[in-house]
Amino acid sequence: MAAAPAQAPHAGRADLEVRGLVKRFGADPPILDGVDLVVPHGQSLALLGSNGAGKSTLLRCCLRLVEPEGGEVRVLGQDVRRLGRQALRRLRSRVGFVFQRHNLVPRLSALTNVLHGAQSRSRGPRAWFQGLAPRALREEAMRCLELVGLAHMARQRADRLSGGQSQRVAIARMLMQRPEFVIADEPVASLDPAAGEEVMRLLVRLLRERDLTLLFISHDLRHAVEFADRVIGLRGGRIELDGPAAEQDPGRLAEIYE
Amino acid sequence: MSDAALPGGSLAAVPRAPAPPARFERPSPLAFLVSLVALAFLAIAVDGVGVSPGEFVRGFPGIGRMLAQMVPLDLSRLAFVGRALLETFQMAVVGTVFGIAWALPLAIVATRSQTPHPILYYTTRGFISFARTVPDLIWALVFVIAVGLGPFAGMLAIMVDTIGFCGRFFAESMEEVDRGPQEALESIGASRLGTVVCAVLPAALPALINTALYSVEKATRASVVLGLVGAGGIGIELKVAMDMFSYDQAATIILAVFALVFGVEQVSARLRRQIL
Repeated sequence: MAAAPAQAPHAGRADLEVRGLVKRFGADPPILDGVDLVVPHGQSLALLGSNGAGKSTLLRCCLRLVEPEGGEVRVLGQDVRRLGRQALRRLRSRVGFVFQRHNLVPRLSALTNVLHGAQSRSRGPRAWFQGLAPRALREEAMRCLELVGLAHMARQRADRLSGGQSQRVAIARMLMQRPEFVIADEPVASLDPAAGEEVMRLLVRLLRERDLTLLFISHDLRHAVEFADRVIGLRGGRIELDGPAAEQDPGRLAEIYE
Repeated sequence: MSDAALPGGSLAAVPRAPAPPARFERPSPLAFLVSLVALAFLAIAVDGVGVSPGEFVRGFPGIGRMLAQMVPLDLSRLAFVGRALLETFQMAVVGTVFGIAWALPLAIVATRSQTPHPILYYTTRGFISFARTVPDLIWALVFVIAVGLGPFAGMLAIMVDTIGFCGRFFAESMEEVDRGPQEALESIGASRLGTVVCAVLPAALPALINTALYSVEKATRASVVLGLVGAGGIGIELKVAMDMFSYDQAATIILAVFALVFGVEQVSARLRRQIL
């Protein structure tokens, strides 16, 4: 995968704009109650908040994995609420999503799981299984695995990988997608501290090398300060904290969980 | 051990805990009434079918006489029995394979999370339920009328029965798979078919294989019975032998059927262990 040019064509553009976003589940009070958020291109942004604060819902609303109820969500310049099925699929193909539980297909090999990332741009069975994939796709998938240090485990079944290895394969799948913007929902929550640190460092390095925007959820305040340019705190369905990561101290960040 | 020896000191220091719940919950009046009605129906049913231990015991000598006439086995028609057995197995295999080939796409449409449209969901669910609830013997009678006597009618009956059986369990297996990989594929922008093929089917594969293998076993047993209504296979040979009181010949056929069913179950169990 080629590195991003020095002068990115989309400099100054907002990759994500959220205005007055509302979402409720059933008769419960809204989990998102008028969220406003702008994420400029190239920024790394950490989203904090206690369990049930609406962090994952906010991220899922960005790709309509959860349907927003009110407000506006613009991703890479497109109003996601107005997109038809095909257009939504095209938009999703441009946004990488790293999940907390990795969400690999367990019985398939690491290589096939990475290859699935190419379904963002390749229709039909060519990107379904590595046995059917053309040489160029297989080689690209191997390069993505090499970037996360797992090329030697290409044939290993996903359900036989450790948690850290699984998440690295999920990152390789995201790279295979060639995304323009990356969302990560607690990418290291299921890993031990050492593996979590390693995976987070890898993810941020790979995205910075490609000048990609990252919006990630974390419960590790050190990660928020170390890996993000900006920190957002969500409480009661609203943004209660928003500022540069360098100016935050862990004590103040911890208040968002109270 | 005295209370004082317990970690944390005397139990007397522990605040009074609430009483534990009752060991068994008292049934609601409705549940009690339903249980009574079910028991009454069972009693009436036992009477209705004329359950009689005495008659059962009196039937033993008859069974003994039949068993005695079964030996020695009549092996004079062994080659014919072998051909009929092969035809029975062919019916079972072809019917099951064709049935699975239909059941898989139907099951995908009949899976709530994968169906392209609710109307298609209910239509396919209805068709699968119909195919399953009508017994295979009835399907065999229908197809004997439609295509005439012979194994083709039996194969069609097994195929429809397999669609009903596999369609239901395939759909249930696909409903139960982890949503995570599907959500990952959807977030990538994969097509609906891509998500099904790459995330749903691999995750459901063990259950699908299990159901398919059980379906082959079931079809092998069923294909023996289907011969009784003229739908090919060895069933009709068994019926003729029993009707003619040729128990030695019937015993040969029964043992051949047993060997076939046992063999299929053994191979199926081995495949299950290897694949799963």
